[in-house]
Amino acid sequence: QHKQISGVSSGCQQGGCLTCSDYNGCLSCKPRFFMHLERIGMKQIGVCMTSCPPGFYGTRSPERNTCTKCRSECDSCFNKNFCTRCRPGFYLHLGKCQETCPEGLVRSDTQRECV
Amino acid sequence: GRIQERQGTVALCPSPCHCEEDGIFIMVDCSEMGLSTVPISLDPLTTYLDLSMNNISEIPPRAFHRLHLLSELRISGNQLRYISSQALQGLHNLKVLMLQNNQLERLPDDAPWDLPNLLSLRLDANLLSEVPPAAFEGVRSLRHLWLDDNSLTEIPVAALDSLPSLQAMTLALNQIKHIPDYAFKNLTALVVLHLHNNHIQSMGSRCFEGLHSLETLDLNYNNLQEFPVAIRTLSKLQELGFHNNNIKAIPERAFVANPQLQTIHFYENPIQLVGKSAFQFLPKLHTLSLNGATQIREFPDLKGTTSLEILTLTRAGLSALPLDLCEQLPRLRVLELSYNQIEDLPSFYHCSSLQELGLQHNQIRRIESSTFKQMTSLKALDLSWNIIERIHPEAFASLFSLIKLDLTENRLSSMPVGGLGGLTHLKLRGNEELFDAFSPDQFPQMRVIEMPYAYQCCVYGTCDGYKTAGQWDTEQSSTTEDLQKRTVSMYPIHGDTHYDPDLEEFQQEIEESKLQTSVHCTPTPGPFRPCDSLLG
Repeated sequence: QHKQISGVSSGCQQGGCLTCSDYNGCLSCKPRFFMHLERIGMKQIGVCMTSCPPGFYGTRSPERNTCTKCRSECDSCFNKNFCTRCRPGFYLHLGKCQETCPEGLVRSDTQRECV
Repeated sequence: GRIQERQGTVALCPSPCHCEEDGIFIMVDCSEMGLSTVPISLDPLTTYLDLSMNNISEIPPRAFHRLHLLSELRISGNQLRYISSQALQGLHNLKVLMLQNNQLERLPDDAPWDLPNLLSLRLDANLLSEVPPAAFEGVRSLRHLWLDDNSLTEIPVAALDSLPSLQAMTLALNQIKHIPDYAFKNLTALVVLHLHNNHIQSMGSRCFEGLHSLETLDLNYNNLQEFPVAIRTLSKLQELGFHNNNIKAIPERAFVANPQLQTIHFYENPIQLVGKSAFQFLPKLHTLSLNGATQIREFPDLKGTTSLEILTLTRAGLSALPLDLCEQLPRLRVLELSYNQIEDLPSFYHCSSLQELGLQHNQIRRIESSTFKQMTSLKALDLSWNIIERIHPEAFASLFSLIKLDLTENRLSSMPVGGLGGLTHLKLRGNEELFDAFSPDQFPQMRVIEMPYAYQCCVYGTCDGYKTAGQWDTEQSSTTEDLQKRTVSMYPIHGDTHYDPDLEEFQQEIEESKLQTSVHCTPTPGPFRPCDSLLG
């Protein structure tokens, strides 16, 4: 449902690039963009985005904005300790993805949440 | 723009967008297509719409009014300055709205957005200098809110009152100076709060009242002058950061109301004074780093902080260590106490998990037989830059895991070797009364050894044979090729006996033999540092 269609073209045509090379893609991003290294085969291509790809969360700082991997059981997250959507087989409750739900809540497979 | 026929209805894919089917629904990607307006022929069965990275500067009223099933709408990376309530009419099922990286200067106040099922709202990287009180009255189900990288000068207290379900929020990278009392009083479900990179100088002592569920609080990179005592209402706090601030003291019982704390980051503060009981009763804390708190005279009382694994307390004024230090901290793996004034050492007998012990730059005189007894996990011991005159012969006897020992710049005239067979690094430079030369057999794993005098390195064959000063010729140490030539000759190929060793195994033997003979011993003997001891 939340499948991201990658709307970001690689190489130098990307809108968020500040400096780039055709071989490595973006080398640096415009202000306020997130730099992410996307692996394509053996190569790593620099991509500048307004939001990090699924499975990563963004951290803004005055110097640079980076994408960091979420915990393995999260499909998407707010930071390294707080998930916003779980992988199949896990259920979200207060930012945690667990295989079981706290007492009084039941597992919803469609939403992957404890409800 | 047609996708396919379905029971007589045709799903429309607005040109030039890409569309993908998701059962009976469709997902539309119009990102980075140079669009300046929102496509008009959007199919009511659209559940995902990506308009990011275009040149859209306005969203007309009712632009999405037929998209009752839309779940995710991305309009990030455009030139939007304002989005009216009418613009987002009809999005009853919207769960994720991404508006980051636009030019939004204000949010609707009189008629707020009506998005009853919205869970995630991204407003980061815009130009918002305030948030009107009523701005969030139509998004009451919101769980995740990004307001970082804007121009807010105050916490939007009134607006936040409308968000009882909020679980994670970032207000980082703004210009907030003060956190008033009861700023977050309705956010009882908030778990994560990021406030880093603001200008926060002061905070009300009750400013965090109401945050009963808060686990992560990030106050890094601000201008806090005082320790944030307001944290005492945060009983569920697990991760606290206030590094890079201007805090000079940590008070007594500072974290007594935060028993769940696992990590506290407060480096890069001019902390001079730390209350002796400041870090008591933190049973889940595993790392504590205190550097440069020069007014600390006594070792902190860590009663009840039993899970500590890494303790760093450097550049303070410690002169002694508690005798029961290891009993209090049974799980300690790293203990770093350099740059203090420690004179006498207790027995570290119960520190059975300790792997690294840093005691350099202190005033230690003696090492007793009991000091390092039974420290079977210890790998690295740094005692350099002390005034050690005597080490008990049995002092290192049970250090079976020790590989690095640094005794640089002490006053040793002898050194016990019992128990040091596993050493790979030994440093003794600067012990001017230490004249013994150790035999290589005593340290079979040795790779780097620093001795007080050059002649003590000759036993490691770093000068051709045991030459006396008169025999030393001008040829300096061998080149790499020479070394290889000499090494190969040590393993002659048995040409005549058809013994055809496996080449890889043969090369491995060479590598291993190189390792065994190449002990890097300094100072390296030479013409002016002959092998025989000038002093007899």
